[in-house]
Amino acid sequence: MEKKKILIIEDEATLQKALSEFLSEEGFEVVSAMDGEVGSEAAKREKPDLIILDIILPKKDGYQVMEELRKLEITKNIPIILLTNLESPEDIQKAFERGATTYLIKSDYKLEDITRKIKESLEEN
Amino acid sequence: MWFINDINLKKQADELGVKIWQTPGFLFLMIGLVAVVVMLATYLISRNYDRPEVLIASESVVAILILIIGTSIVRVVEGITNLNKIKSEFISVASHQLRTPLSAIRWETELLLSKQRKGLSKKQLENIENISVLSARMTRLVNDLLDVVRIDQKRLVLKKTSTDLTKIICEKVDELRPLFEERNIEVVVNCKKNVPKILSDPERIRMVMDNLISNSVKYTVNQGKIEIKLFRKDDLVLFSIKDNGVGIPEEQHKRVFEKFFRSDNVVKYQTEGTGLGLYITKSIIEQSGGKIWFQSVENLGTIFNFALPIRK
Repeated sequence: MEKKKILIIEDEATLQKALSEFLSEEGFEVVSAMDGEVGSEAAKREKPDLIILDIILPKKDGYQVMEELRKLEITKNIPIILLTNLESPEDIQKAFERGATTYLIKSDYKLEDITRKIKESLEEN
Repeated sequence: MWFINDINLKKQADELGVKIWQTPGFLFLMIGLVAVVVMLATYLISRNYDRPEVLIASESVVAILILIIGTSIVRVVEGITNLNKIKSEFISVASHQLRTPLSAIRWETELLLSKQRKGLSKKQLENIENISVLSARMTRLVNDLLDVVRIDQKRLVLKKTSTDLTKIICEKVDELRPLFEERNIEVVVNCKKNVPKILSDPERIRMVMDNLISNSVKYTVNQGKIEIKLFRKDDLVLFSIKDNGVGIPEEQHKRVFEKFFRSDNVVKYQTEGTGLGLYITKSIIEQSGGKIWFQSVENLGTIFNFALPIRK
């Protein structure tokens, strides 16, 4: 079976590295970006099977990235899992309005649980 | 009576965190007083002097006084709004700044314990496991503190939906089973069949169960027994959890649901615990339209109960 490609857009280097390593070990192909601008370019170029997206990011925030990707034919159907520590009801609502598939709070999820959510989203898609 | 409450200035000053002369109540009283004095003065002046300059001058003094008092009121209100803003800013800073490094610590330790454990000695693994347990505890503490601030600001939001208490109880008991075994505690779960669903936030109810069940475990010495019951009574679903643990001294009963409260006898036995769990639990139950109460006798045990309305 072909490896599924995951794009991680996360500016916190340690978090990004830990998640990438874990996902690679789980058999995914991982591409990563450290800011919103690079991230949305990577999404258009790499056409990943799924995107993990933080909200607070340099250059473009997660909401802007989502708005952009949802408008384009090639990226509009890619599942997007928001992975953030923001958790106000307004943030969550805003995320789903802009087309998030799943919303996860970083500190509440282990890498193992995040991987499970990724697999679930990929299956649904 | 509302006006008595309104002129209880000391209470108002304490609540708002300002000096008595800065409370809106005091300032309004001052405005009233000024108005009365002015009316009297105008009356006296107009009776004794027939000159318009005097009248104009006294009216100007009044206008200035009212302006000064009015400005102070606006200042106080601004100060309070500002304080609230600082509080909510604190919440977002704390939640983001504390949780990001905590997430990093937890993910790195998880990586070490799962994908990278090859080559690590037993002793090293043990140390990493300790870090893992402690950082999980710290995350929980940060989350609890944030919940408390939200409750105090009346900003804790429940995502209400149809909630199955039976299912949540069974899952929680299964999850905590290793803990029961480790402490040699017998757990009897007695959930009546077909208990109707309630309207609440399942994640939060899970937290309530975790709190109540782990409290019972924590405060029950070896050879303990815990009994959990769930049944329907009229329009309510009733839950109870009974243990034969250390109990709560009677003189401290009224403080059980206060934040940061920990009973004296428990502090003696246990070092772990923050005294936030029951405060949060009570708020979740009440926000779901329910009630929570308990009976406890020191050295005999405790029963915690809650009632929640069934979903119509």
